[in-house]
Amino acid sequence: MLRTIKKFFDFCGDRERKQFFLSIFLSVFNAFFVAMRIPAIYVVLKAILEDSLSVNTAYTAVVIIIASIILQTLITMQISMLQTRAGYNTSSLKRMEIAEHLRYVPMGYFNSEGLGKVTSIATNTMESLSGMASRCVMMISKGMITTLVIVFSMFLFDPRIATVALITMVIYLIVTEFMIRMESADADRFTAAQDSMVARILEYVRGIAEIRNFNLFGKSITDVDDSIDSFARFSTGMETTYEIVMFFLNILNKIAGVVMTVMSITFYLNGSMGLVNSVMMIICSFMIFESLDQVGAFNGLTRAIENCVDKANEALSFPTMKIEGKEITPDNMTLVMKNVDFSYGEKKIINDISFEINEKTQTAFVGPSGGGKTTLTQLLARFWDVDKGSVSLGGTDVRDYSYDSLMKNFAFVFQNVYLFNDTIENNIRFGKPDASREEVVEAAKKACCHDFIMELPEGYDTVIGDGGASLSGGERQRISIARAIMKDAPIIILDEATANVDPENEEKLIEAVAALTREKTIIMIAHRLKTVRNADQILVIDKGQIAEQGTHEQLMQKEGIYKSFIAERSKAATWKIRKDPA
Amino acid sequence: MEDERSKTKEKTSAMNVYNKNSLRWLWSFTEGKRGIYLLSVILALLGVISMLLTYVCLASLIRELISGNREMAFYEVRGLQIGILWILRYAFHGFSTYTSHNATFGLIGSARKLLLKKLNSMPLGAVQSRSSGEYKNIICDRVDQIEPTLAHVTPEFTANIVGAIAMFIYMMSIDWRVGLWQLICIPAGFIAFAIMMASTPKYYPVTIEKTRALNAVAVEYIGGIEVIKAFGQSGTSYGKFVKAAKEGADCFIEWMRKENFWQNFGMACFPATMLGLLPSGVIYCLNGSMSFANLIVLIILSLGTVTPLVTVFAYTDDISKVGEIVSDIADIMDEKDLIRPDGIKNTPADHRIVLKDVHFTYKDKEVLHGINMEIEDGTVNALVGPSGSGKSTIARLIASLWDVDSGEIIIGGVNIKDMPLEEYNRHVAYVSQENYLFDQTVMDNIRMGRDGATDDEVIEAAKKCGCHDFIMTLENGYQTVCGGSGGHLSGGERQRISIARAMLKDAPIVILDEATSYTDPESEAVIQAALSRLTAGKTLIVIAHRLSTIADADKIFLINDGCIEAYGTQNELMTSSPLYKSMWESHITARKEEA
Repeated sequence: MLRTIKKFFDFCGDRERKQFFLSIFLSVFNAFFVAMRIPAIYVVLKAILEDSLSVNTAYTAVVIIIASIILQTLITMQISMLQTRAGYNTSSLKRMEIAEHLRYVPMGYFNSEGLGKVTSIATNTMESLSGMASRCVMMISKGMITTLVIVFSMFLFDPRIATVALITMVIYLIVTEFMIRMESADADRFTAAQDSMVARILEYVRGIAEIRNFNLFGKSITDVDDSIDSFARFSTGMETTYEIVMFFLNILNKIAGVVMTVMSITFYLNGSMGLVNSVMMIICSFMIFESLDQVGAFNGLTRAIENCVDKANEALSFPTMKIEGKEITPDNMTLVMKNVDFSYGEKKIINDISFEINEKTQTAFVGPSGGGKTTLTQLLARFWDVDKGSVSLGGTDVRDYSYDSLMKNFAFVFQNVYLFNDTIENNIRFGKPDASREEVVEAAKKACCHDFIMELPEGYDTVIGDGGASLSGGERQRISIARAIMKDAPIIILDEATANVDPENEEKLIEAVAALTREKTIIMIAHRLKTVRNADQILVIDKGQIAEQGTHEQLMQKEGIYKSFIAERSKAATWKIRKDPA
Repeated sequence: MEDERSKTKEKTSAMNVYNKNSLRWLWSFTEGKRGIYLLSVILALLGVISMLLTYVCLASLIRELISGNREMAFYEVRGLQIGILWILRYAFHGFSTYTSHNATFGLIGSARKLLLKKLNSMPLGAVQSRSSGEYKNIICDRVDQIEPTLAHVTPEFTANIVGAIAMFIYMMSIDWRVGLWQLICIPAGFIAFAIMMASTPKYYPVTIEKTRALNAVAVEYIGGIEVIKAFGQSGTSYGKFVKAAKEGADCFIEWMRKENFWQNFGMACFPATMLGLLPSGVIYCLNGSMSFANLIVLIILSLGTVTPLVTVFAYTDDISKVGEIVSDIADIMDEKDLIRPDGIKNTPADHRIVLKDVHFTYKDKEVLHGINMEIEDGTVNALVGPSGSGKSTIARLIASLWDVDSGEIIIGGVNIKDMPLEEYNRHVAYVSQENYLFDQTVMDNIRMGRDGATDDEVIEAAKKCGCHDFIMTLENGYQTVCGGSGGHLSGGERQRISIARAMLKDAPIVILDEATSYTDPESEAVIQAALSRLTAGKTLIVIAHRLSTIADADKIFLINDGCIEAYGTQNELMTSSPLYKSMWESHITARKEEA
């Protein structure tokens, strides 16, 4: 428990940590203001027992209670403010830290799964951090400190009873700690049961079309019920353990209270304690452990706090690369890859590849999927850093450029088009933030977007995405090309994917690509026969190496991968679906 | 809908109706377990009563102490009683919580099963209008959030309210005047909370809006990080993110600042029963209308009511959230089912497909306006048309992903609505670009096509679909586990395995919905060969992205704007339909560039 709390405070920013500490400090005072009803009772009791009850007694009691309400209000106002500030600012600062961190993570590192995870951390995890987690840490810290202070102040009244209280508190905390340990073993199995259920449910949901298509509902292969039932069993088991431990913890406190009560009476009867003190001790012994109960009640959530912190730290532990190089404007656009090795995890993807791409030439990467084509284009634009060898642009190693000044030279057409939830105009302008409306329209026209944009309800001001216009795959692709045209970078990296293109759009897409690539250095993962045929240099990539290299004519002379690739492509392009296939 | 969004007031009132529906769902859902919940409430009540009795014992103990009873044995008995009552209190409480949790976890499990079963009976199209992430969120996470409400709130909220009232009545019976005086702070507390609540409609929507904006910015920043970096915009976009993150925190801080006083004042007021009790008690004692002993008893009993009251307040927040939690679940459960009979009435005579005056509305917009089609047994039929024309919708209606609004789809003389879904599925194979492979072996994944197929039959199908060779190069051959979404297989490989699965099913009607557009262009030719084998001799309906692919079809239906604009063979359409002609020419120009 203490470890979790320490972890949480280590995780917070300095200012927030101070605010949290101050709020805990004030909470302890507040506990005394809340307990001020006890002195008020004391005044009345004392007057009754000493037979000095008068209207003044009533006044005193009222003054004490009103003072208690006012002081409580004032101090809890401070506490609430401090905790709200510290809680929300912690998560807000962590969000910024994650966003900042992502700027330094190699671009190639991102895949949709990883991005989804980071998004969930930046949104959901941070939300629970600002609310649940920080509240929980506060309650636990406050409960422990308050009890501690109360117990020590009891020593002033009666050391014998205070000793009992102190021992109780120590046992309580030890049991609590033990319980967390015990639960965490349970919790691992619980988490495993949960993961397995979630995996099965996800599989069911993702495969629902197949389940129906092949009448698989209720068949064992798609049976989710078992995992749901076993998760329910684990949940009940966890809860039962928790209830049993809580039972003993509560009993411990209350029995200690009873022991303290009996002690107070004994001390009164044997004359070692006054009546008033004795009665007050009895009342106190009923309430002394209230704060401690909160520690027990909230410690069930410590795992959740740890979880939040761990997840956020995980997002911050993604590998980074140095992006602060010099502002360099290359003299020429010659790209050279020299003896490059690159591995992803354990797997070697690129194995000692060297080649050169001259300015304003067309280079086509061809080869089987998984051969390393995409990784090569990514290494050229420093989405990753190479393990060995070097990549240079205009004679300077790409690692010497500042990231932004390197990126100025590249434009990309990705297979997966990402458009922002913004107006079409702003999406296109993203390529050149200070572009005028006319320039945007100009680029859109070149990318064959203008006509369909004008048909949208608000033209260029139409918002794309949630609650906005939905565009077809081909349209999205062309907007991303307009964006790249806007950027007007000298080197274009292009994954020539034809999927998702509607027949009537195919021609326009080709036209848009032609507009983008005019007079540029073009590096492409090629699928079209024409583009391959016109390429100045073709690199056939297989198993992380250059298998063949040359122009179309040269490569067609050899009986190699390229020649069979071309044969397959021609066959595929003219394929017809027939009643009776040959 | 639009108006609702713009006016917060209307929105909240609409939400209330919504919540009412979901609460009704929750209520009907707990049927059968209500007895258990009642038991749990009773146990909780016994727990609260035991707790209150400890205060009664304590009061009597103190009264005796003050009145001069010096007999230790008496106090020992009282102490023992108190100890036993505490044990009872926590034992009852524990059993109550255990009972309600046991029932609740059972219910949560059935809610999950119900939802999954529902997904199997809804139109598939409706199922697919939510992402798998949303389903995971609802079925796994949301459903769990019922737990606090059902398992904790139900017994404890009820028990503590009843307990507090019981204690109050008991105190009233000792002295009703003091009983009432102790409530003096409650109105002040309520006023404070009312003022606090009054500011909620002003600040709450702001926090929701800012949080949503923050989340949207986060999603965009992270999802678009590749684009952002590629365009050298990370500075600007980061700035936007920082601004949103700041605002997301500031709005909560601002809200807290505004209601800070009232919230904390209210919280301080509610439990301050002593404010009225002490002075009134003192006055009544002084004028002789109440005994000292009773005053002391009342003081102690009053301390006992604080705990139940605090517990009740702690749970009000959970109660207000229930409607929201359950509404997602209720939404799915309220979806219309695909209406199909259980038993087989008629079996299709052949595999001729007829569409008669089919209308279909999607998201409040009619997208098909009276489609009539005839597809002959054993022929190749293509649906073509501009994107958004409705060609996919027609294919999906025939594939029973949706039900028609009006009109009929008839297979071999039988309306598909009169066929049980299982029977229907025996006749039709629907192959799309989406190919889900289960986290099972390759062998089992293909075998799903036909229950009980032998290994040899599976391998035979795999060979026909050009899978066999690459499967044999996998680590464990046919016993390789595909992993979620197909694991380390390439897109083209996954597609071929799923074609092999359909091949094994050997349904007489095959619908290819864009199955010919490839995620993996390198394996296009192999996939085409597999598709050719799959479709040989079948009644085939195909949507293809390349017109040349379907040029040899027996019948091409040109769909435009939700209507059939023309149909016939390639040659017939070239002369009869200017739209088809222009589409063809555009396609051919593109092809020429390529060839």
